[in-house]
Amino acid sequence: MATRSTKKEVTVTTDHAPRLYALAGSILGFFLAWAGVAAHPWAQTSSSAASQSAAIEAYSRRLNADAALVALVSGHRKAAPSVRIVTLPPLTTTRTS
Amino acid sequence: MIHRHAFTAMGTEVELLADADDVSLLADIEAEFRRLETVLSRFRSDSELSRLNEAGAGYVGPELLEVIELALAARAASGGRFDPTVHDAVVAAGYDRSFELLVAEGAGATPERPRVGGKVAIDRAAGHVTLEHGYRLDLGGIAKGWAADRALAVLANAGPALVNAGGDLAAAGRLWPIAVGAGSGEITLGLVDGGMATSGRDRRTWVRDGEKRHHLIDPATGLPAGGDVLTVTVAAGSASEAEVLAKTLFLAGDSQRVLEEAERCGIPTVLVTSAGDVLLAGGLP
Repeated sequence: MATRSTKKEVTVTTDHAPRLYALAGSILGFFLAWAGVAAHPWAQTSSSAASQSAAIEAYSRRLNADAALVALVSGHRKAAPSVRIVTLPPLTTTRTS
Repeated sequence: MIHRHAFTAMGTEVELLADADDVSLLADIEAEFRRLETVLSRFRSDSELSRLNEAGAGYVGPELLEVIELALAARAASGGRFDPTVHDAVVAAGYDRSFELLVAEGAGATPERPRVGGKVAIDRAAGHVTLEHGYRLDLGGIAKGWAADRALAVLANAGPALVNAGGDLAAAGRLWPIAVGAGSGEITLGLVDGGMATSGRDRRTWVRDGEKRHHLIDPATGLPAGGDVLTVTVAAGSASEAEVLAKTLFLAGDSQRVLEEAERCGIPTVLVTSAGDVLLAGGLP
């Protein structure tokens, strides 16, 4: 009876050890992966394009500001005028007022 | 048959064209222009505008109030490029009396420090306007455009008509061929309903302290605008709107910027550069 009991305890101990190692390994792996992602390894490859991107963004902002400026004015238009170049003799003249 | 009636008012030549049988309105329109001059001119010391500029605040009539509001709305919409408070900057540049007198007598020699961007407080219900201390209003071009629109609204009741207030035009009822000075040549635009105006430094120029000056002040500097643009002609829904757009585009700086903005916003534009090149944008072929 005693022998049988000891053998049973050893068996139980042998079953838990791999699980603990596996759990510890998983946690370690998780943190290693976390550290890897947090380090932004891809940032180094895109930094060369960062200055170009900033320049394009600044240019885009300026264009948008310019567009908004005149769009605001043209937004006040009552109606689009009907105008075209003609070859008729003029009846009057526009000039600097 | 087209009837023509021309006269001088608001410091410029005004021309009325009416394609109608009843032209009795033409004399009434002339009288109305002369009356509006007593309200809106900065060159008449007895005008309502001059009294407001002198006092810095006061009660004003509905017409002056409407034009001031129109000019302030244009300033807000144009991000400050169009600014009615450039009065003192225009005066500092030498344009301190009617242009006829300026040419005859010459510009003074003591420039003042230009000021632009002044605050204007309006109590519409009370009809009261307050100018920021040290600022005065110049409603020149927009007042003429507004007067042209107003006259057209009356004339057009009798038939197709066109009102030309010194280059600020309002037209309705038929196709009106309008000449645009374009360098050494001339382009003719056919306008059916709407307005047209030209801003430039080809006219209303003078010499001060040995330098050629003109009346288009860049609010960013308080000085006559530079750049390679000689004139900008714009077609729009009304004469006052065309006046604002023409001046706003002119003050964009160089010709390339003017064309880009006109194209982007679909504003029919004829641009003449200092070199005499004629460039079209905004839907004109």
